[in-house]
Amino acid sequence: MSNLYKPHLLVLPEDEANEQLANGIKLSLNINNRTLIIDKPVKGWMKVVKKYTEQVVAEMRKYPSRIVVLLIDFDCDAKKGDTPEKRFFQVFNEIPDDLKSRTFVLGTLDEPEDLKTKLSMSLENIGETLAEDCPDKPNPLWNDDMLKHNTPELERLLETVKHFLFSK
Amino acid sequence: MIQRLYVHNYRCLENFELNLKDLQSALLIGKNGTGKSTISFVLQLFQSIARGINSVKELGNDPLYLLRPKDFYRGRFEEPMRFEIEVLLNNQVYVYVLAFDLPKNFKKLRVIEERLTVSDKPVYNRKEALVTLTRKSTGSNNQEPQFSVDWHLIALPVIQEQSEQDPLHIFRSWLANMIIMSPIPSIIKGVSSEETFEIIRDGSNFADWFTGLLKIYPAAYTTIDNYLREIFPDLLDIQNKTIGENAKSMVIQFEANKVNLKLDFDDLSDGEKCFFLCALVLAANKCYGPIFCFWDEPDNYLSLPEVGHFIMALRRSFRENGQILVTSHNEESIRKFPNENILVLDRKSHLEPTLIRLLSDIPFEGSVADALIRGEIEL
Repeated sequence: MSNLYKPHLLVLPEDEANEQLANGIKLSLNINNRTLIIDKPVKGWMKVVKKYTEQVVAEMRKYPSRIVVLLIDFDCDAKKGDTPEKRFFQVFNEIPDDLKSRTFVLGTLDEPEDLKTKLSMSLENIGETLAEDCPDKPNPLWNDDMLKHNTPELERLLETVKHFLFSK
Repeated sequence: MIQRLYVHNYRCLENFELNLKDLQSALLIGKNGTGKSTISFVLQLFQSIARGINSVKELGNDPLYLLRPKDFYRGRFEEPMRFEIEVLLNNQVYVYVLAFDLPKNFKKLRVIEERLTVSDKPVYNRKEALVTLTRKSTGSNNQEPQFSVDWHLIALPVIQEQSEQDPLHIFRSWLANMIIMSPIPSIIKGVSSEETFEIIRDGSNFADWFTGLLKIYPAAYTTIDNYLREIFPDLLDIQNKTIGENAKSMVIQFEANKVNLKLDFDDLSDGEKCFFLCALVLAANKCYGPIFCFWDEPDNYLSLPEVGHFIMALRRSFRENGQILVTSHNEESIRKFPNENILVLDRKSHLEPTLIRLLSDIPFEGSVADALIRGEIEL
């Protein structure tokens, strides 16, 4: 009866704000509800990586149709030399080579709450908007300053999930 | 869509206001005994009236004892018991108000006030026994028609409606078609003897609802089938076989690897029956919605991996049409609602009334689920 052998996307959110973004995507009628699974938030990007490497990697090898998104904050401290690119590769380098094609790292610059304030939208509505018109024509919101760094990873993700995640 | 529900002097609800304006889906949370079910009883009171029960005595004899003298908050008989519901239908605001008192030496509650307005224009107004209709009289005197109703009868179900466009018809139908559920799957059977759109709280007339829905809206089968097939990939079809005069029986057919299995609906598990209920809710909202649905703990009976999908399927269905209000103690369900859509109920003690506030307006540390488990979310 398990659907885990069918293609599905598992999202590992860093915190509740990212979880609400993901919930918004799941709420979109453009998404096949049951193909999107949102895990419990773990409080911190390093814990996302820890959960991924210690638990999810083994599950991905068990379920070859599982695609994973690590949904983290790129809240980097420039004074310490942190940059979004550096954060990305800190995470990406933890992904085993055989799973790199099925694992994606996405997130907002700073924190989703900042995007919520900037756009005067609920996080759920932001998530729902981001799911609109995908995969063919991602919503212009993806070009926002706080999201546009995701473009290469988003394109790679959409190419991978377009055959099962979307209802249109 | 319900915009506001106001209740005063009824059970644990005193000067209580539930504001649902602009919330297509909302979650009620709170410890046991804080009034979540009482809210559903109030909604069911309105629903029962719209379904034709107009006597105070009958409402008191309802299996849930919806309206009895002991329901005055802490026996405070000197103040009226008041119910108000404000609903947005077809861009018009319907407000229905109903108030009771219990004078000395009365054994039954008495209606002291009742009125229905549509966008601030009265449809009818009642003071004690006297009902005034605001529609023009057909007689020559051009006065508003008036008639008397027994003090212990509610006027809403007995006023004659003039057409399907009559606000009375629109409002009563909407109230009657509300879905208020706290299902008990073990008593939900697959045999129907009637056709209805009026599902009962415990789900026991589910098969009648299935039969009624498909008779009037055959296309509902597609919605039901699409939803269930995602959960049961081996589902082949749902048959509703005639087994006697006016009697039908639901048989569910599964097929996998060219092996066929037919199961009577009654033989499904409790959780599986809940998926069928959900499928009908989605189909009903699509076919004769927008409807309002209250579902008390929809996650009961469901396996953990299904809870999130189940809640989101409901929220998605009501995203653009209708409105759903659910209760839950389940962390997985709670995580599927943003704090702006979660209403927290609380009571300091059995001697104090229910308080309500949006979770997004309550300061707390850490995650909602953790704070709830620690009992830290208090009003």
